[in-house]
Amino acid sequence: MNRRQEIIAKALAVPQMPMPVQKIMSIINDPDATLMQLAQFIEYEPGLTVNLLRMANSAFFGGHGAVSTVKDAVMRLGMQRVYQMVLASGVAPFAKYEIKGYGLPPGQLLEHSAALAVASEQLATELGLTAPPHTFTSGLLVNIGKVVLGAFLAVDADPILEMAYSQGIAFEKAERAVLGIDHGELGALLLEHWRLPPPIVYVVRHRLDPDAAPERDLTLDLVHAGDVIAKMTGIGLGYDGMHYAPCEAVLIRLGLTAEHVERVMECTITHFTEIRDILTSTE
Amino acid sequence: MEIVVAISDMRVTNRAGHILVTHSLGSCLGLVAYDPAACVGGLIHCLLPVAREAREGKTLNPCMYVNTGVPHMIKAMYAKGAKRERLIIKAAGCGRMMNVSNTFDTGAANFAALNKLLALNDFALSNSDVGGSIPRTIRLYMDTGRVMVSSCGKNWEI
Repeated sequence: MNRRQEIIAKALAVPQMPMPVQKIMSIINDPDATLMQLAQFIEYEPGLTVNLLRMANSAFFGGHGAVSTVKDAVMRLGMQRVYQMVLASGVAPFAKYEIKGYGLPPGQLLEHSAALAVASEQLATELGLTAPPHTFTSGLLVNIGKVVLGAFLAVDADPILEMAYSQGIAFEKAERAVLGIDHGELGALLLEHWRLPPPIVYVVRHRLDPDAAPERDLTLDLVHAGDVIAKMTGIGLGYDGMHYAPCEAVLIRLGLTAEHVERVMECTITHFTEIRDILTSTE
Repeated sequence: MEIVVAISDMRVTNRAGHILVTHSLGSCLGLVAYDPAACVGGLIHCLLPVAREAREGKTLNPCMYVNTGVPHMIKAMYAKGAKRERLIIKAAGCGRMMNVSNTFDTGAANFAALNKLLALNDFALSNSDVGGSIPRTIRLYMDTGRVMVSSCGKNWEI
């Protein structure tokens, strides 16, 4: 078994998604399921209910405190949005770990992930686009491979950092050279194993190199650019810092200007703490 | 005691026991100013070079921008007894993504905005550690005026 195969085998043995999230995924994936069935199930899970209501009422999601029951949230936001919020609530605990080799103390990756998710969604608004419903969750999850490598497998990132910085190559390329796999691909394999929806897995797999993706995808473009913007803000950066190369084709495709980037950075700084605080309270 | 300065925030102190620190410097500017005679120091963490929205009449956080935040901090230092002729000014941060075009090099824009502002007001930078793709933390030790930059587990003085 080579290094890559060994890492993948260990990654797929990490803890499963929390059971309530798995159950809700099965409801969402059932074509006969109704909004009310979804609401009834969530109401039996106090932790999910609290987080869903906090997200639905957050300024970032435009709630302004008007949503008081799960049924309200489901009716107002729709099944897809609620599903994304439940999913975010379910996976957030994995981003709370300390990720030693990557220079991320406990909670720091969650901060970065919240900033990335906010930036990806806000970018769509700034560009006058409608963000596909899985944009926020995809943004939140794109770094989950780092959790696996740094927290569960305790990978020594020093040789990766040494190669990346001394040879001037992008961090994910150094990961592939040293480990045989990068954190994007590993994260995608884990999420696939958890049976998360393919559109989310697609974004997680290709967000570091969208040009190599087989098909163009708006969420992928938004999350790639949102990742760049989140890194520029500096929120929750680890040792890999900004040592990644943005895909120029994505920036052109989105019609991004420096002014767009600056406005999204401002908005990200304003809103990421709200999202982080909601997700930090997730148990 | 360490006093943490958040993104788009600043702190000014005259207590020798304080250490002013800001983390998470990506493309942001971290600027320290120190008057050794008055023992007054300041640290600001600016996100962007210029407050574009100010022209639209919006109320903005001045510390978010280099062109408004730096004068804001220097004035706060004067209020605590600092004198312009004694100020030692050092900068860190202003990093960039790899291979990014100049259009999206906010770090370079932040540093250019700082240099323009300092030149207009007849100030000079004593030292700086800017650019590249590394994340940075900057600390000002008020007892000595020493300024340390940390990144990737290493520390160096500027």
